[in-house]
Amino acid sequence: MSLSSRMVIVLTAVGIISGGLLSTVGILTRARIEANRLREIEEAIITVVPGAKTNTKIYEEKDFTVYTTRNDQGQIQGFAIYTAGTGFQDKIVLMFGTDAEINKIFRLTILDQKETPGLGAKITDKEAFLKYWENKDCSHPLMLKKPPVAQEELGASEVNAITGATISSEAVLATVNASLAKLRSLIQAGTIQIEENNGQ
Amino acid sequence: MASKPLSQEFTKGLWGENPIFRQLLGMCPTLAVTNAVINGIAMSLATSFVLIFSSLVVASIKKLIPSQVRIASYIVVIASFVTMADRFLAAFFPPISKNLGPYIPLIVVNCIILGRQEAFSSKNSVGRSLIDAFGMSLGFTLALLVLSSIREILGTGTWLGHQVLGSWFEPWIIMILPPGAFLTLGILLGIIILIDQKLQRSK
Repeated sequence: MSLSSRMVIVLTAVGIISGGLLSTVGILTRARIEANRLREIEEAIITVVPGAKTNTKIYEEKDFTVYTTRNDQGQIQGFAIYTAGTGFQDKIVLMFGTDAEINKIFRLTILDQKETPGLGAKITDKEAFLKYWENKDCSHPLMLKKPPVAQEELGASEVNAITGATISSEAVLATVNASLAKLRSLIQAGTIQIEENNGQ
Repeated sequence: MASKPLSQEFTKGLWGENPIFRQLLGMCPTLAVTNAVINGIAMSLATSFVLIFSSLVVASIKKLIPSQVRIASYIVVIASFVTMADRFLAAFFPPISKNLGPYIPLIVVNCIILGRQEAFSSKNSVGRSLIDAFGMSLGFTLALLVLSSIREILGTGTWLGHQVLGSWFEPWIIMILPPGAFLTLGILLGIIILIDQKLQRSK
């Protein structure tokens, strides 16, 4: 057999065997990877809208997904919004929950971020950042308070920035404000319709 | 090379030819993921898995592969095992998979793995290649463990997530940032060369 045909045969064989193995591994793990992703979103919804029992995806586009959540009586409790914005280094993926009138943010949680460890990464820390987002008035755009003040001194729609990580704090704030505005305009335009107690 | 005793094929990976401290190979994962011990361990395990299985396959099929296409063949073999490791972590250990991000797929281009195939497995028997791969994997694991322990303890005051330094300790954040990786590696390399010189002199 000539050298060139041997080269072709060996490379083809190596490629076919490895391709076959990998598609098997892919099929075996795909369901589980997808389940992991869904479970993560499910858990996040429960975190951001306290008492949420069921949720329905009502709107989806790139980096912006809206879920309505209902309590065990089937009443609408509010929205859970999955969104992403540009942070200091990379995308910050987050989810927050609002009431049905979009007047109040229940809670905020960060799902994925690559901010500076020890500084910007504190946006995932409850004590340093997330607790200031609980039960905030969001009928007006939220505002960042810096330097940070005691929790009692914060206004109804003010949240504390993280000292030394203003960019990351602002990124979260801008993402949330932009998502709120987008959600309101989608509802106004009739793209998102909420039907109370429907289909439950 | 074949005249070396088997035990030496194993131990050379730990000290004399340690992939990190002596060969200075695979610096990208070494520097990038050693900011926490758990990441260091996961990276070591994934790399060891790929290295051991690639060595096994390459040593078994070395006679079939024409030398002109050997690198291409090795890369396909290595990439297959890396993809398996990546999918496995994503399916069963999603938090670790998230932490390591792109560094698992990047094992494909880790010089330790291709280097061992080219320098060793393609010239030695299956058994000897496996012993070499195990030694190199253990050497890599030890190196990452030392690096990540130093960085996590000084950078956050914890080891494997457990608090080891008291509340008096103000974490050196630089240690878990990229410069901390270079500082730690540089100092360790210096210490190892010093020890080695002492050993050489006393011989």
